[in-house]
Amino acid sequence: MDKRVLIVDDHPVFRQSARRMLEAEGYEVVGEAGDGESAIEAVRSLRPGIVLLDVQLPGIDGFEVASRITGADDAPLVVLTSSRDGSDFGPLVTRSGARGFVAKDELSGAAIEQMLG
Amino acid sequence: MNSLRRALLGLGAVGVIFGLALIPTTLSSDQDVPAAIAAIAPLVGWSFIGTGLFAWWRRPQNRFGALLVAVGFAWFLGVLSSSDVPALGITGYAFLNVYLVLLVHALLAFPSGRREGTAAERIVLTSGWIAGFALQLLGIPFFKTPDPDYCDGCPENPLLIQDNTDVLDVLYAVQPILGIVALGGLAVILVRRWRRASPAQRRPLAAVLWVGAAAMGILVASLASGVAGVPDAVQDGFFVAGLLAIACIPFGFLVGLLRTRFSRAEAVDELVERLGFTPAGGQGLRDALAHALGDPSLAVAYWLPERALYVDAAGRAIELPTPGSGRAASIVERGGEPVAAIIHDESLREERDLIRTIGAAAALRLENERLDAELRAKLEELRDSRARIVKAGDSERRRLERDLHDGAQQRLVALSITLRLARQKLDADPAQAATLLDEATEELGTATEELRELARGIHPAVLTDRGLGPALDALAGRAPFPVELIALPQDRLPPPIESAAYFVVAEALTNVAKYAQATHASVEVARANGRVTVEVRDDGVGGADPAAGSGLRGLFDRVAALDGRLDVDSPARGGTVVHAEIPCE
Repeated sequence: MDKRVLIVDDHPVFRQSARRMLEAEGYEVVGEAGDGESAIEAVRSLRPGIVLLDVQLPGIDGFEVASRITGADDAPLVVLTSSRDGSDFGPLVTRSGARGFVAKDELSGAAIEQMLG
Repeated sequence: MNSLRRALLGLGAVGVIFGLALIPTTLSSDQDVPAAIAAIAPLVGWSFIGTGLFAWWRRPQNRFGALLVAVGFAWFLGVLSSSDVPALGITGYAFLNVYLVLLVHALLAFPSGRREGTAAERIVLTSGWIAGFALQLLGIPFFKTPDPDYCDGCPENPLLIQDNTDVLDVLYAVQPILGIVALGGLAVILVRRWRRASPAQRRPLAAVLWVGAAAMGILVASLASGVAGVPDAVQDGFFVAGLLAIACIPFGFLVGLLRTRFSRAEAVDELVERLGFTPAGGQGLRDALAHALGDPSLAVAYWLPERALYVDAAGRAIELPTPGSGRAASIVERGGEPVAAIIHDESLREERDLIRTIGAAAALRLENERLDAELRAKLEELRDSRARIVKAGDSERRRLERDLHDGAQQRLVALSITLRLARQKLDADPAQAATLLDEATEELGTATEELRELARGIHPAVLTDRGLGPALDALAGRAPFPVELIALPQDRLPPPIESAAYFVVAEALTNVAKYAQATHASVEVARANGRVTVEVRDDGVGGADPAAGSGLRGLFDRVAALDGRLDVDSPARGGTVVHAEIPCE
């Protein structure tokens, strides 16, 4: 599995924690983005294997970003995340093209591996 | 006595003397003046001058009165033609028909005093002046005495140049033709005007126009009979009948005036009667006023003194018409205070007295309807403010959700991740685990502080527990600039008032910190005379717009919900004063 990760979230505090957690568990964080537009741009330029994507972003939201960056053969695997509960979003997660959802406070390398494995 | 009245009395006196002086002139004249003409001559002049002066005095802006006075004096000048004194006789001859031309003017200008300025009017007047005055003057140098057929015993013409009957024949042939054009044209214009007039407009017009049209008709017949060569006796009969009809014109005008007065009394009676069975509210009052003033487009606006604006019957704000817009507003007062404005067609300005009378008759009813409109305006305002309060509640909840999500929740998420990392490192790298735990502690402290701030914004605990004084004390202590507490209530106030007062001060101080560039602010809360007053002053740049920010708008509604009012006085570079008054028994 390609363990190069792009973290997309508008809260720097979370980006910093997530980076530390994933790096401690053997992932390579190749970049960060604070909103949907720059996330799409970063996917194009950095070609990450995994995108950890916050649902609520300024401008276009995580679901829209997920549907735009998935679909192609070489598309990254998308894991949506939020500080809200996954059930708040109903079927939006699976429809967006994302591989799964992880609550922010449950984020770990193992959780991602399990979801993508 | 004002100067206009003095001038009019002076003119009247001159008219009386002129008329009196003519009596011996006509009676002793060597000319063959028909007795009927001699008898009615001064009366005709006086009636024009008298009614003209009366109209002039009643409506100084209206030129109609002046025109009638001019007709009267021109008539007297014409009567001078019967004088045996050559200079006076020839002057009278020159002016013999000028009164007729002026009368045509007056009839065209009735009742507004202004002509409509149409081409037909210009043709009538030009023909009139040529026939009535220019041709008369042109003939003067060519006769020894005026037409001997008519003027047996006239004095000799002192302005004679050459006795030339050929010239006179031409002039006398053209004169009646132009006269017929002028008078016939006038008759056509008057008939058209009559047919165009509304029933209300016809009422004052009727007497004058009918008498005027009849007189003109008789005169046209008289002139036509001259051209057609009918016997002299018949011509004389037509002439005397025409003069009598002309003598009636000013009386017709008087009747017109009286009819206006009569119709005013009638209109008031009818209005009062209508109001008796018109139910309150709705369109009843407006319809009754529209009927009384004969203006179906009439509208009523009610004055709201508290808000210093006019509203319609439904309580919605309306602007009064501006001059030149075709509409005009007449203010109805009661006890010196405006009650309502009657918005009507601009042409009704002429009927200022009628509007005033109608307004006075309806003032009590207007006052009642004003109170209704005020109530409706308050309901409207209440509906608006209720909607704003619901909206403000929604946006407040959204803001809280956002604040919680962006602040404490993110910190707690990060804290959770950091703690799990620390747990992982505990065995392998205890030193890094300790560092992570330190970070987690710091993160937790920040999250707690953010939650505290948020909770205080929702409702400060100290306000609930200790009351307004300590809560404002604490608020002042946290402000980033010196805040002087001039006075604070010692006793507890009802909770809704404490909350409203607290948030007025909190919002005001927040705005001072954000925008005012102030060095100092003061807060004063006092309870006296059944009300709590809250005042926050700063020495900043001023220029605050209460309508611009949602914060102050919400406070207006919050204070209004307690029947209080909030004012913001913020002149540019003059500091800002936020002042609230809330009833508190």
